[in-house]
Amino acid sequence: MSDFKKYQCSVCGHIYDEAEGDPDTGVQPGTRFEDIPDDWRCPECGAEKSAYQLMT
Amino acid sequence: MRIVIIGSGVGGVSFAEKYRALQADAQITLITREDDGYYSRPLLSRGFSTDNIEQSIILKPFDKLRDENIDIISAAEVTAINRADRTVVVKRPDQESVLPYDKLILAQGSAAFIPPPFRPYRDLFFCLNNLVDLKKLRRFRQGFLDRNQRPAWGVIGGGLIGCEVASDLAVSGDPVTLYHAADRLMERQLVPEDSVTLLNIMQDSGVAVLLNQSVQGFSKQGDKVCVETGVSSPFDAVLVATGFKPRTELAVQAGLEIGRGIKVNQRLQTSDEHIYALGDVAELPNGKLYAFILPIRNQALWLAGFLAGQENKDWQPPVFNPKAKVHGFQAAHPYLF
Repeated sequence: MSDFKKYQCSVCGHIYDEAEGDPDTGVQPGTRFEDIPDDWRCPECGAEKSAYQLMT
Repeated sequence: MRIVIIGSGVGGVSFAEKYRALQADAQITLITREDDGYYSRPLLSRGFSTDNIEQSIILKPFDKLRDENIDIISAAEVTAINRADRTVVVKRPDQESVLPYDKLILAQGSAAFIPPPFRPYRDLFFCLNNLVDLKKLRRFRQGFLDRNQRPAWGVIGGGLIGCEVASDLAVSGDPVTLYHAADRLMERQLVPEDSVTLLNIMQDSGVAVLLNQSVQGFSKQGDKVCVETGVSSPFDAVLVATGFKPRTELAVQAGLEIGRGIKVNQRLQTSDEHIYALGDVAELPNGKLYAFILPIRNQALWLAGFLAGQENKDWQPPVFNPKAKVHGFQAAHPYLF
């Protein structure tokens, strides 16, 4: 799949890459950003999922 | 309510935005020595392997914060706190002004700690504490890349920042030698087993790691800077990463109670009831400084809620798991704190 997207936390700059997921917080590689649970937090700074923005 | 905040890191900015969201009619002024906008400090550690970082590191220009009705005074220094009349003196290149506050929030963060024996040589080495430092380092490095050369780096300090920077320079293709005083890397954050893993990963990425080193000072020889350990080892550049020092000078001058940081109670209040501190500068009653991004943001949001009358319990440190940004490294055990 080549259309994985990246999202960046607007508080700390952490990048969520759909291809890599975030295994440490239980998000498997290949998980679409919209499929991450709403109560998921930025693993770096604890910001809400809504603090992330699509990187262009 | 007139709120004055000093510092534009994650502590100061998160507090300002949250307090603005809770108190529409408060007057919020944030004073900062920075002039580049609100940027990601964690990304400084990836400052060499990331192209175009000078722009991409900026998360929010100061004008965006001004649009949120937060008055930002940038490229400015607070030179004094007058507790008796509750004002701060703000110095900008072209003017000096006096600003009244009802509540003052100290969030100046920390500077690089330079061990006393290194201080006479300050113009011989770099530090990496902020975006201004990173830009200087990148300009220096670009000078070599433009001539199709790679600078050879000596990095002093195998703690968290030293390991991150050495790793990032090495994966970017530069030769790096890392000097560490202790007998294992990141001994303050890692259990011995994880230090071994880290050592192997650093070496695999091409970093020459020297442990049990006693660096006495530096010397200049032509274009090179030598690290002096009894023998003289020449490098194109030396970077010192030997810890951080909370910026407590203003608080000291104002007569606040100080330990390693500015002493606060469990409500982040200093020894002056109108002055609060958070982030790297705040020393909690347990003696700890919560100098990691997650607890700092947590303090900032808590304090905004508290001052807006929406919190009545003490601040409690959240569960957090710091992580060094060393390429390819995962600790098997939780970090020590």
